[in-house]
Amino acid sequence: MTDLDRPRDMLAAEYALGLLEGEDLLMARARAAREPEFADAVTYWETKLAPLLDDIGGAEPAPDLWQRIAAAIDETPSSGEIIDLRKRLRYWKFASFGAAAAAVAVFALVLMQPLPNAPIPQPAEAPMVANIPIGDTDLRLAVTYLPDRDEMLVSASGLTADGVHDHELWLVPDEGALRSLGVVKPGEEIRMALDPDLAALIHDGSQMVLTREPIGGKPGDAEAGPVVAEGAFATT
Amino acid sequence: MSSQTDSTADQPAQARARLTDAMVRLGNGDRAALEQIYRATNVKLFGICLRILGNRKEAEDALQDVYVNLWRRADRFDPQRASPISWLATFARNCAVDRLRTGKVRAGAVPVEAAAELPDAEPLADELLIDAERAERVHTCLDTLDGKTRDAIRSAFFGGHTYAELADAQEVPLGTMKSWIRRGLTKLKTCLEKGE
Repeated sequence: MTDLDRPRDMLAAEYALGLLEGEDLLMARARAAREPEFADAVTYWETKLAPLLDDIGGAEPAPDLWQRIAAAIDETPSSGEIIDLRKRLRYWKFASFGAAAAAVAVFALVLMQPLPNAPIPQPAEAPMVANIPIGDTDLRLAVTYLPDRDEMLVSASGLTADGVHDHELWLVPDEGALRSLGVVKPGEEIRMALDPDLAALIHDGSQMVLTREPIGGKPGDAEAGPVVAEGAFATT
Repeated sequence: MSSQTDSTADQPAQARARLTDAMVRLGNGDRAALEQIYRATNVKLFGICLRILGNRKEAEDALQDVYVNLWRRADRFDPQRASPISWLATFARNCAVDRLRTGKVRAGAVPVEAAAELPDAEPLADELLIDAERAERVHTCLDTLDGKTRDAIRSAFFGGHTYAELADAQEVPLGTMKSWIRRGLTKLKTCLEKGE
């Protein structure tokens, strides 16, 4: 194969090199998340270009950097620990409140009740919120993530549907492709379950973007629409 | 770990096998493996972050991101598909470039021209980990491109520069820069595939 399979392979090369920005970058991230062929094409370029990194001379970081990293990961459970922790918390929540407990009540109780079998690492259980301003309006999209329940609440109560577009919310992981958090329902507050794999990517400071899409959200074979708003999670 | 059953398995192969082993253990949540990986790779990966960000403090923050993110998702490394040091080097480069894109660092930390220059040939403390076999092909293929295209691709790769920044630096329209680079990438891919 000598012909580039445009635009997929070219876009993958541009993404791997880091040439893209703005909407093109978001679109490429979204495709890398959803299309295995595209992700493979990105890996192809990364692998081919990686030997160039061997041309770069080494350099010594500050001697205390390892201590800083060690301290940071003490606050960051590994993916295995996070899953284990969630199982324990879920069991406890279920036993204490039942699955139908109102999210707001859970939110408050999580903050007030001492957890059994403490200590529980903080980052895995503190709720996180994001208020995402929409364009130049006073409207805000309120997103609350409840790590202990692997649930997210998305309140779009101030928004109205235009009948032509939907809006899709995306998580921007620290590294790698955008992950869809689903289509936002104007005028509603929805509660959604998050895949644990996806939930594990969320932390204090995680960025989100909102894109404008056709009704029903971004079609599988289409590029992501324009970014209309963005915001970040913060621990409450 | 016996990625090399060959009896001539040499030191680089052993260093690579130890690193692969540590990466696999890290994926299983072994925290001691992270320190081992850090000791083996921090000089190389810091060099990469420093090269892209051009500032020690930013590069140290980026390096911290690299290992913290690695701790969170080492399970994504697949020893069947990638050599550990190439994977880590790419991971570090992507973390550093992400810092440029998310605005944590002002855009174009390293000027476009400087980014295209050949890096200093400082000896690496962990040279044994380098993947020498595949290095030659990409160099040979880059050398087949004309000078301005090669420099643009190098600036993107080593400086994290976008199409727009490259076009500005060369004072050409964005479309011109895109077509130079796309032509170059097409040629590069053809050349790389001949080497397979």
